[in-house]
Amino acid sequence: MAPRVLDVRRLAPPEPLEQVLDALADMPRTERLWVLHRREPFPLYDLLKRMGYGWRTEGADERFEILIWASEHPPTEDELSRGMPC
Amino acid sequence: MLNTAGLSLDQAPPIQVPFAFFRVAPLFAALAGAVLLWDGDVVLISRWSAPALAVTHLLALGFLTQVMCGALFQMLSVLAGAPVPRVVWVGRLTQLALVLGCLTLSWGLYSNGRAWLMLGGLLLGLGLAAFVVAVGVALTRARGVPQTLRAMRFALAGLVMTLVFGLVVLAGVLGARIPGLAGWVDLHLSWALLGWVGMLIIGVGYQVVPMFHVTPAYPRWLTRLAAPLVLAALLASTTLVGLGNVGLAVWALLPAILALGAFAVVTLVLQRRRERPRVDTTLLYWWSSMGLILLSSALWLLDGRGEVLGVLLLAGIGVGLPTGMLFKIMPFLSWFHLQHRQVTARRFDVRLPHMQVFMPDGVAQAQFGTFAAMLVLLTAAGFSAGQPWGAYLARAGGAGLIAAASLLAWMQWRCYRAYLDISRQLG
Repeated sequence: MAPRVLDVRRLAPPEPLEQVLDALADMPRTERLWVLHRREPFPLYDLLKRMGYGWRTEGADERFEILIWASEHPPTEDELSRGMPC
Repeated sequence: MLNTAGLSLDQAPPIQVPFAFFRVAPLFAALAGAVLLWDGDVVLISRWSAPALAVTHLLALGFLTQVMCGALFQMLSVLAGAPVPRVVWVGRLTQLALVLGCLTLSWGLYSNGRAWLMLGGLLLGLGLAAFVVAVGVALTRARGVPQTLRAMRFALAGLVMTLVFGLVVLAGVLGARIPGLAGWVDLHLSWALLGWVGMLIIGVGYQVVPMFHVTPAYPRWLTRLAAPLVLAALLASTTLVGLGNVGLAVWALLPAILALGAFAVVTLVLQRRRERPRVDTTLLYWWSSMGLILLSSALWLLDGRGEVLGVLLLAGIGVGLPTGMLFKIMPFLSWFHLQHRQVTARRFDVRLPHMQVFMPDGVAQAQFGTFAAMLVLLTAAGFSAGQPWGAYLARAGGAGLIAAASLLAWMQWRCYRAYLDISRQLG
């Protein structure tokens, strides 16, 4: 199944956080979520950790790509190396 | 790969710490409004009159510094990853000293009571020293956007200098021999307005304007130059006063005025290029404050009436910008803390309301309308000093300030009540 992509670059806080949490609540835990953000979402990480999710962030300046997965379903090396679908 | 260790929400101080500062602040604005209402015939005749000095300190310390202290306790931990040590204890001590110190100093200025003035100076000295030490420790550990942190460090230095010169002036008023006292009063004022308030507006603006209004980042030339220029101008002015050249010391402030003017113009340009077309009340307050920075800079260059300048800077920017920020900060913090509690308690059955529900923008816009009317009335009163209608305008402005402060307090109470209600549901 194709991973879901969420672009929150044009939203003001806390809407990016709200949308990410809403998306995770609607998704089966086997799926992946890619988030495209304009800044590094530090407050999100702590919530993800408490909710049993893992994440990886890459990027700089105005574009950060965050891959989120449920801790019991970690991504394969192949998934990690493929990067965010355009 | 980036460091994704993340910031723990546990680093944030309990919501009661910043909220205590925010919720007490409107009482001081209302008190300043009451003085304007009571002494409308004299307050704007001269900035040296006893009621004018009381109003100035009620707004500058009781409202503006109160909100800024509360916001700094919060911002340092969340934005810069640098929690203030013993934040509950330091927060309570700072606030107690600030509230009592502001009340006693203002009463001392109003009634020319020496004992009250001494007590006010002592309390403010102790309270602000505790604040400066605790925030200073946090700032040495802070990481994050270097330009914002630099402006915040300069702002803290500005607060220290304001306090030191304030105590020097107080000693002079109480009878100590201070040569060239007027020059020290000007320094106290310059460090307060440009060093403490101006620098904090710059530092906070670099973070919150791009974040909350989804604008491009501030240009590098401005973030590199603005805060150091303000600091350099203040140091030059201080040196000149020390050397006894008060006339030149005033003009040494010109680079600081220009830097703040450039910040205001760039902010307005960035906000025109924002991604979201919606105009909320916080944006209205930013627009009015940036416009007032430009207007008061022009008035300063044209050597306009100090009393009108005081109205624009204190009632206009000093009350306006923190109020606009509170309309964003308080709902955001309420939502943020509730979200944290929900995840910790795993109570996903409780639906959290969206941020706007905590402070509806319709009521906030009515509050802005009241504020704008108050500002027009007080500015007109400043220009009409000595005329028979000047006192009526000042009194009407005072009533407007009480109304604007009451509306703000009411919205704050609604926001906090909503937070407590949902908090109880989360258990």
